[in-house]
Amino acid sequence: MDSNSEQASGLMQVGIPAIEYVLGSDAVSVEELEARGLLDSPAARLCEFGFSRARLSRESSYALATAATNKLLVTTGVDRTSIDALFYTGATPACHAVETSDPMSAFNYPVAQLQYEMELSQARAFGVSQLGCLGLMASVALARDFLLSNKDASRALCVSADVLPAGCKREMIYNVISDGACAVLLEKECERNHIVAYRQITKGYYWNSIAQKNEIAAAYFPTARNIVRDTLADADLDSSDISCILPHNVSLRSWEILMGLIQIGREKLFFENIGKMAHVIAADNWINLRDAIDAKRLSHGDRLLLFTFGFGANWACMVLEH
Amino acid sequence: MAHTVLVTGATGMIGQALVPLLARRNDVTTIFGLTHANECVGSSYKVTPVRGDVTAGPALGMKLESSREILDRTTVIVHAAANTRFSAPLEEARAVNLEGTKNLLAFASHCPRLEAFAALSTVHVAGKRTGTICEEDLDHTAGFVNSYEQSKYETELLLREHMSELPISVLRLSTVLGSSTTGEVRRIAAIHHALRLYYNSLAPMIPGKPDSLVDLIAMDYAAAAVEHFAVEHFQAGRTFHLCDGEDALTLARLLGLTREAFLRYRPSWRKRAIEMPAIVDLPTFELFVRSVEEVGDNILRSSVTIIKHFVPQLVYSKVFRDVECTRSLQAKGLLKPSVLEFYPQVVRWLVESGWGEHGTLAGGAGA
Repeated sequence: MDSNSEQASGLMQVGIPAIEYVLGSDAVSVEELEARGLLDSPAARLCEFGFSRARLSRESSYALATAATNKLLVTTGVDRTSIDALFYTGATPACHAVETSDPMSAFNYPVAQLQYEMELSQARAFGVSQLGCLGLMASVALARDFLLSNKDASRALCVSADVLPAGCKREMIYNVISDGACAVLLEKECERNHIVAYRQITKGYYWNSIAQKNEIAAAYFPTARNIVRDTLADADLDSSDISCILPHNVSLRSWEILMGLIQIGREKLFFENIGKMAHVIAADNWINLRDAIDAKRLSHGDRLLLFTFGFGANWACMVLEH
Repeated sequence: MAHTVLVTGATGMIGQALVPLLARRNDVTTIFGLTHANECVGSSYKVTPVRGDVTAGPALGMKLESSREILDRTTVIVHAAANTRFSAPLEEARAVNLEGTKNLLAFASHCPRLEAFAALSTVHVAGKRTGTICEEDLDHTAGFVNSYEQSKYETELLLREHMSELPISVLRLSTVLGSSTTGEVRRIAAIHHALRLYYNSLAPMIPGKPDSLVDLIAMDYAAAAVEHFAVEHFQAGRTFHLCDGEDALTLARLLGLTREAFLRYRPSWRKRAIEMPAIVDLPTFELFVRSVEEVGDNILRSSVTIIKHFVPQLVYSKVFRDVECTRSLQAKGLLKPSVLEFYPQVVRWLVESGWGEHGTLAGGAGA
């Protein structure tokens, strides 16, 4: 089998050798968020849902993106010119422009700035937007496809960064929101955390996330159940084959409900970060992967399930083999 | 033999369909339709509306002269009045279903010509029992999903106590859906509301198992069966199941048929890509309900309130045996409409009428 047909058949593995992240520097308890008027629900209720604090940044999303990317490049020592693609994502429009007082600054794109400042001179740059909290997972999937469809490409870097404006509410649909950035390196022929299957569902009917919040809340669970089921089927696995679920850090209560739907025991859920880190928008699953590795929760060959949801409305699920 | 029939709940879901059938019979000369207000009970000259209330004591809240005439003339009582609101507090449900029946039994005991007392009940007096439920079964300790089931169970116990004194038969209906011919729904009930939630993407999950049976019958079949067992083939001391029995659809099939009907009768619904409700275990459903009740806004909370009082019944999978009933009805030439055929018609009627926006809405206590 030549390399092109090997790539086309999907046998060529794309894996994730490195992840780095940075969080907003200020750790603020939910009680303090409540006192500052940054919550809609009582702090006690959000504590019940598994949240204890959020991380708020005084820096811009771009500054956090730079910090996470630099950290990854330095710790891995990877040759910067070997990065063939850079995917930059963020949930809010503000994350996709380096704005000044000049209206034309909307065309100042952070992905280009990052490519230049990080000396990723060979990387083709892509911005991935309008996917809400799905941005980084979708970027990883796109990067995997990019590597598989370009025989000369070997590495891609995906970066997400989200910082809510100062004074902005820190609660969305009973979830506490943090600021942070995450960088994920993908490598062809890498056995570590190789991507086994990925699915994404977009349901445009729910595009109006404010007016349709009830419908979205109701659609969330059956769609999540279906995409998990179908992604497992794509990977030729069933739920008992999954060693660990790396969640997006929405409320623990909603995860408990979802675990009931997908029939996977709670002991497999890596939920430790929900309380101390809250929902770092697009970065959760990857931060959790990194921390689960550091906590030695994962063994070679473990099948990992990552699930996330983003306004839009989008659902995504990925299976990795560690 | 000429009959004078007293129908309680004459303007209720079953009463509305039953009164015209009784009026068509040559052996029925008069129908007294007990109602709360001066409501229309039917257009036949045989029908006399009577203002009253089964909860208003043994005289049923009727005027004295009406009461005397009805006592003297009544040969058949069809007791269809009930509080069918699943979310009603138990005492409220008992006040109509149990105490109302107690009053009616006291009234009936003074009817010198009484030949038949047909009491409408529900197959769900079986509550949380599972497995095969026979027509003669009643006593159990399995518990109940809602106050309606419990109060009707207690009512049946009361009726059995009086079976030695009065000619009583119990007719247990399953969920009455709509007309088998037109699909029309006279009164929007919990199941119709649940279908609307699915249609509007507000029904995320339903407790049960894919193979749980959902027993549904057509309105016209239910009314004809009640007429048959109350007048023509009355059998004192017997209980009959007016249900779909072993022909009932599974929950998975029902959801699939619902989806097919939505797509067929409202093709534009397809583009919403609304998922079918997930079938989940009871703890998962209850956790979802609790979460919505704690934090959900009014729309979602109302949606949950509509379904939480009856859908848990699907967890307690059971099949109602209706052999005796079906045999008797078949002998009369009354065949059970196929749910596979009439269910889509009902969904069609609901979709096209906007869930009967201009029709009568459900709930409350019938006279």
